[in-house]
Amino acid sequence: MSEALRQSLDLALFWEYRFVLFGGLLFNAAIFACAAAAALVLGLCAALLRVSLMRPLRWGGTVYVELFRNAPDYVMLVWVHFVLPLLLGLALRTRIEFHPFVSAVVALGLVYSGYFAETFRAGIQAIPKGNIEAGRAVGMSEALILRRITLPQVVWRMLPEALNIFVSLFKATTIVSLIAVPDLMYRVSMVTQQEMRPLPLYTGAALTYFAVILVVATLLRWASERWRRTVLV
Amino acid sequence: MGNWERLVWNQRELLLSGLNVTVEICVLAFVGSVLGGLVLCLIRLYVAPLRPIAILLIEFFRATPIFVQLMWVNYVWPEILGWPNTFFTAGWVALALQSSGYLAETFRTGIEAVPKAHREAGSSLGMSRLLILHRIVMPQALLTAAPSLVNQFTVIVKSSTLVSVITVPDLMFQSQKIVNIWYEPIEVLTATAAIYIALIFLVSQAGKYISDWLRRTFGLHA
Repeated sequence: MSEALRQSLDLALFWEYRFVLFGGLLFNAAIFACAAAAALVLGLCAALLRVSLMRPLRWGGTVYVELFRNAPDYVMLVWVHFVLPLLLGLALRTRIEFHPFVSAVVALGLVYSGYFAETFRAGIQAIPKGNIEAGRAVGMSEALILRRITLPQVVWRMLPEALNIFVSLFKATTIVSLIAVPDLMYRVSMVTQQEMRPLPLYTGAALTYFAVILVVATLLRWASERWRRTVLV
Repeated sequence: MGNWERLVWNQRELLLSGLNVTVEICVLAFVGSVLGGLVLCLIRLYVAPLRPIAILLIEFFRATPIFVQLMWVNYVWPEILGWPNTFFTAGWVALALQSSGYLAETFRTGIEAVPKAHREAGSSLGMSRLLILHRIVMPQALLTAAPSLVNQFTVIVKSSTLVSVITVPDLMFQSQKIVNIWYEPIEVLTATAAIYIALIFLVSQAGKYISDWLRRTFGLHA
């Protein structure tokens, strides 16, 4: 038993494969960046639909948000990777296959756009009506009002919540190993099959993610608080 | 519609047995995470010598992805602790760990939101610290925490899909098994996604209703 404990804390094996394993971490980062960009854009669109004055658009936005916000990441990932290409193929009468990387970005982007939409919406609805009316009164177009008056305030308001969603999204990128994107977890399981020593490898992976997420999240929260204090009261 | 009948309706027993396992594992994980979160939070607040350990554990559980924790509990714990000895146990324990970290922080916010005067009123009446915690602090803290508790349950249901990876026969596992028999994923996976979305939607609506009702009934306006 103590032998097992010593083995799991002996991270030399993990260190031996450091280049392979940390290369996997880059995949996590790349998928995170692409999915976060997609989720922000889609989330903003969905939020604008939800606060739209036209009822069908509002309903459309609500259905979109409820659908993706309530879908588990893993189910969505499997569905996008195995079902969506077939459906598209049937519609376009060709054979389509998604690269695992694409599936991962699409699935995570969709799921997290649902979360972002709710945060954006709360931010938009918290803006006093007078601000927007003032914009109209000086002759600004709706797009200009969105860009110059609404969005800056929304970003300021939603930043802490958005950081939490970003952390969740980064954590969710670990499941892309299940559709064979060669991220850190995928490489850990490959090395495990070769070395037959899961203890140090999985412990090392857990500690790596722990350190990366804790450090990056703490820095981002600190920076965002500083920025929020300097920009507005 | 023939495919739907063959691949989904005729497989309903398999899918329902999977749903059953999903529900079991989620309930166990939720109970475990509430107890674990409560213990971690109370240690963090009231047991000074163990506080750094509690903080470290809370941060570790919160900052590690659930999939990584699942693999870690499943492969590493049995070697070190000799437990958990089944995939099912490893599944719910991993889910409970992750959520206990979050719930510990939720409970702490709830406890710290109780005005100090309430505690002082209790001790001026001669109540012991344990009695104050039990009768004054916890009821209010739990009411404050109710919406987050509900939210955490939906997170558990979402994460529970991952236990299929360590061969726990939950809904996701069974549906992938059906896919691997027929190699026709469209109907089965779409139905599975729909079941999960509906389940999580219902759970969150019901939970919202219950926590609103609790707050109305016990007069906490937040």
